[in-house]
Amino acid sequence: MISTGNDIVALKAINITRTKQQNFYRKIISDSEKALYDEQFSDSLPFEHFVWLLWSIKESVYKYLQRITPELVFSPTKVIITKLEAPVNNTIQVFGGRDFNDKTVYKGVAEFGAHTLYSRSIITEDFIFSVINHIDNFERVLWGIRPIDSCEPGRQSEGVREIALAMLNSLFPDAKLKIDKNLHGIPVLLKNGVEIPVPVSLAHHDHYVAYSFAVSA
Amino acid sequence: MTREETLNELKKVIAPYTVNKEMLAGINDQTDLIRDLKINSANLVDIIIDAEAKYDIEIDYDSADKMTNVGSCLDVITEKINQK
Repeated sequence: MISTGNDIVALKAINITRTKQQNFYRKIISDSEKALYDEQFSDSLPFEHFVWLLWSIKESVYKYLQRITPELVFSPTKVIITKLEAPVNNTIQVFGGRDFNDKTVYKGVAEFGAHTLYSRSIITEDFIFSVINHIDNFERVLWGIRPIDSCEPGRQSEGVREIALAMLNSLFPDAKLKIDKNLHGIPVLLKNGVEIPVPVSLAHHDHYVAYSFAVSA
Repeated sequence: MTREETLNELKKVIAPYTVNKEMLAGINDQTDLIRDLKINSANLVDIIIDAEAKYDIEIDYDSADKMTNVGSCLDVITEKINQK
């Protein structure tokens, strides 16, 4: 079963002081991940960005796996980021499309139980965005990010569906598409009222919305 | 502390992280933090940290994982208070 998972963290909405406190970040990252930061990223990435980068990857892993196992409980410290590679060039100019420019993204490997999953993440001044896939190749993953004018929950929900459906309508131009949620709260894509096997993941935080979905070809 | 008193304190812990104030006023055990109160998942750790401070307790990882709705939050908080 293919799946997808994405997450976005609006950096203006995070509490930097709190994120740096041990009692906070230890509920998100493990000792091995703290060591990963100290060894590889302490010169290039503010610690609070690292914590929320890992949060966004872990939340994306949860969304990816929850589609397969709906009763799964999100447990950030049980998802372990075993590898994280910094971008060669962190100048991001594109905020959506198919696949990623590997030179401008953080590439990671996440493990949860027997599952090994792969991540791509973008960090800008304003947000951190991550997407998860089951293989280390994102050619069949489509994604997008957009700022919205209000962080009211209804507007977030509406805004994320607008951008996801704009992309999906370009793939299914003659169909009537709708994104609904199933009994477990997982987004599903309906084509002419019938659910189709295109996994969609929606995310929002503060004034940002984002989506990802996976296609079979 | 009775369950009702704990619930009233929990409402104060949750309040900064939801805009759905009407629903917050009427929460019950089944109220889901994310789906019903529209709390962003990024704020769940804040709620756990704030609950630890409010009730002077420590919430371990496994207990924190259970805190998805109001009833499970109250169960975990009550258990930790009783362990003090």
